[in-house]
Amino acid sequence: MLMTKVLLIEDDGETAQEISAELTDRGFEVEWSSDGIDGLGKARSLRPDAMIVDRLLPGMDGLTIIDTLRRDQVRTPVLVLSALGAVDDRVRGLRMGGDDYLTKPFAVVELIARIEALLRRPVETRETTLRAGSLELDLIERTVRRGERKIDLLPREFRLLEYMMRRSDQLLTRAMLLEEVWNYKFVPTTNLVDVHMGRLRHKVDWPGEAQMIHNVRGAGFILRTLA
Amino acid sequence: MLDVRFIRSNTFRWAFGVACLFATFVTVLFAFIYFNIDDYLIARSDRVIIAQVSFFSALPLERRVSAIEDHLAEDPRSVQFAGLFDANGSRIAGNVGLLPNGLRIDGSVQNVQVAPLNWNAPGNPKVRAAARHLEDGDTLMIARNVDETWEISHAVGEALALGLLPAFCLCLLAGAWLSLRAQSRVEEVNQRVRRIIAGNLRERLPHRNVDEPFSRLAAIVNGMLDEMESMISALSGVGNDIAHDLRTPLTRARLTLERGRSHAGTLEQLQEAADKAIAGIDQSLAIVTALLRLADIENSRRSSAFGSVALADLIREVSDIYEPIAEDKQIRLSVGIAAKLEVRGDRDLLFEAIVNLVDNAVKFTPEGGEVDIELAQSEQGTVVRVTDTGPGIPRQETEAVLRRFFRSDKMRNTPGVGLGLNLVAAIVKLHGFRLVIHPGPGGRVEIICTRQERAGQRSGQLECPEARFQAV
Repeated sequence: MLMTKVLLIEDDGETAQEISAELTDRGFEVEWSSDGIDGLGKARSLRPDAMIVDRLLPGMDGLTIIDTLRRDQVRTPVLVLSALGAVDDRVRGLRMGGDDYLTKPFAVVELIARIEALLRRPVETRETTLRAGSLELDLIERTVRRGERKIDLLPREFRLLEYMMRRSDQLLTRAMLLEEVWNYKFVPTTNLVDVHMGRLRHKVDWPGEAQMIHNVRGAGFILRTLA
Repeated sequence: MLDVRFIRSNTFRWAFGVACLFATFVTVLFAFIYFNIDDYLIARSDRVIIAQVSFFSALPLERRVSAIEDHLAEDPRSVQFAGLFDANGSRIAGNVGLLPNGLRIDGSVQNVQVAPLNWNAPGNPKVRAAARHLEDGDTLMIARNVDETWEISHAVGEALALGLLPAFCLCLLAGAWLSLRAQSRVEEVNQRVRRIIAGNLRERLPHRNVDEPFSRLAAIVNGMLDEMESMISALSGVGNDIAHDLRTPLTRARLTLERGRSHAGTLEQLQEAADKAIAGIDQSLAIVTALLRLADIENSRRSSAFGSVALADLIREVSDIYEPIAEDKQIRLSVGIAAKLEVRGDRDLLFEAIVNLVDNAVKFTPEGGEVDIELAQSEQGTVVRVTDTGPGIPRQETEAVLRRFFRSDKMRNTPGVGLGLNLVAAIVKLHGFRLVIHPGPGGRVEIICTRQERAGQRSGQLECPEARFQAV
């Protein structure tokens, strides 16, 4: 089976080694470049499935690399890594063509979850109904049912479930959820996610039914479709 | 000799320019006056000549000659000339030998030269003369020497010119003096500023309490220095705070790892130690991030991103989010919105501020309590009020609570970094609003959205920095 190729452009050797090791452990094929210009060249020649680009690089900075690729119509998903964590920096990174933005230091689990999310970006469908396992979500009527049972959800819970169903069987970290579902540009007490997830789970997974919403300890949450 | 800078200075050049302009103007004026006086005196003299001609012409013949002799006798300065000539041109009376050449005998006054009898001075005088034919065939000529009038004009001209030179010099001197004065003030300011740059932040610019541009500028710069000084001392305070508050979790992390390394018997134990250490390090990172955010907001120029913010929507969103959390603790969360009030501000920041207040309220209210979020209008402006039935902040601590990392002793063990209120305060300050913290029992914090002035809002805070946060 073809392994997913990830190009890592990072100038700090130790960080790069750690990331490479983790990615390789999870079955990715990793190509590493420690210089901006060399990295850009590799991006063009190797055509990776995903890229992890550090912002501050010798030769050519990360955002310029991404911008250049985008101008050449290269649509490879890119995760931007940076020590610059201010909101404006994040906005800039995404605006220049990055698909996701992660500030250092980060938990490796976070990185992996986001890379996988990038690689399995939900396809934009015109479907008005989302299906995941036995869950059925009607986007127009704003209703949800599990099998025959109708589930009553508050608007925010609906959004949360919708997000999870579009990324079923993927690890979703708290940070990702806060950013996408709550649109937080800051990190409040992260307990927030847990509490809301707890309630959602309460409504979705009734006793006797197979558990679909799982809490992955130390990492995040996952909606398993049990197929 | 003269400092080149001095001569090149604008004030001096300006003064010099004005002096020259002044001199030119005065010269033109003098010339005008001079020539006018000249013309006037000559015109007057001419009128006299014509009057005399008429007078003598009207006299009967017998009287005429003696009248002329008398007239000439009364002329101590020898400026009068007269001549009565018969039809052949020989002199009958007067002190002029011949009719002057070129003199038109038409009664008009002209410039001619006469050849007086018994004239001692060298050269024939130039005079203004008029001549007329009389009925009996004689020709009468009356003339006046206008040197006199020229002398008068000259005298006037000289007097005036004499005044020009001092005036010009005075102008230059005044310019020089002003320039020197301005320069010395600038030099004084330069010196102070150099000292300030060298690090002595306490220095201020001197200014007499006079309402003149320099003093006003000095007052403004002093205000700016005041603000800078307080910011820098706040920053250095932060440095200490950071050091202190980072040390604790980092030290704990280190100790945990050390213990784990030497005491762990199983892999799980080591992993547990590592987990704890990671948590401690994460907390340190959270502190750093929070402080950077705080600094970012406090120094932010984000007032350019201000728009119209519907507070009612923000509050409903916040309550939506905290509902489940409150419910978990059996806390009743209620929202009271008086009207759909809007303010000018940054939506994200205001959202964050309200989230922080509600987060605090829910965090510090014991089970079974109540948290209220209100949006109302008061005379001071729109008010966002968060109240809770928790212990609140004791009166003695209402000011201290805004110091970085302050956690009152009761709260030592609750989660969080202790910067929530600082963040709210920074956001409030950025918007030009007021944050009011009421003392307990019961928590009660208000954000009063005072009506803002336009852009220069932050600089308006210079006058009374303490008024930004009010501990009631």
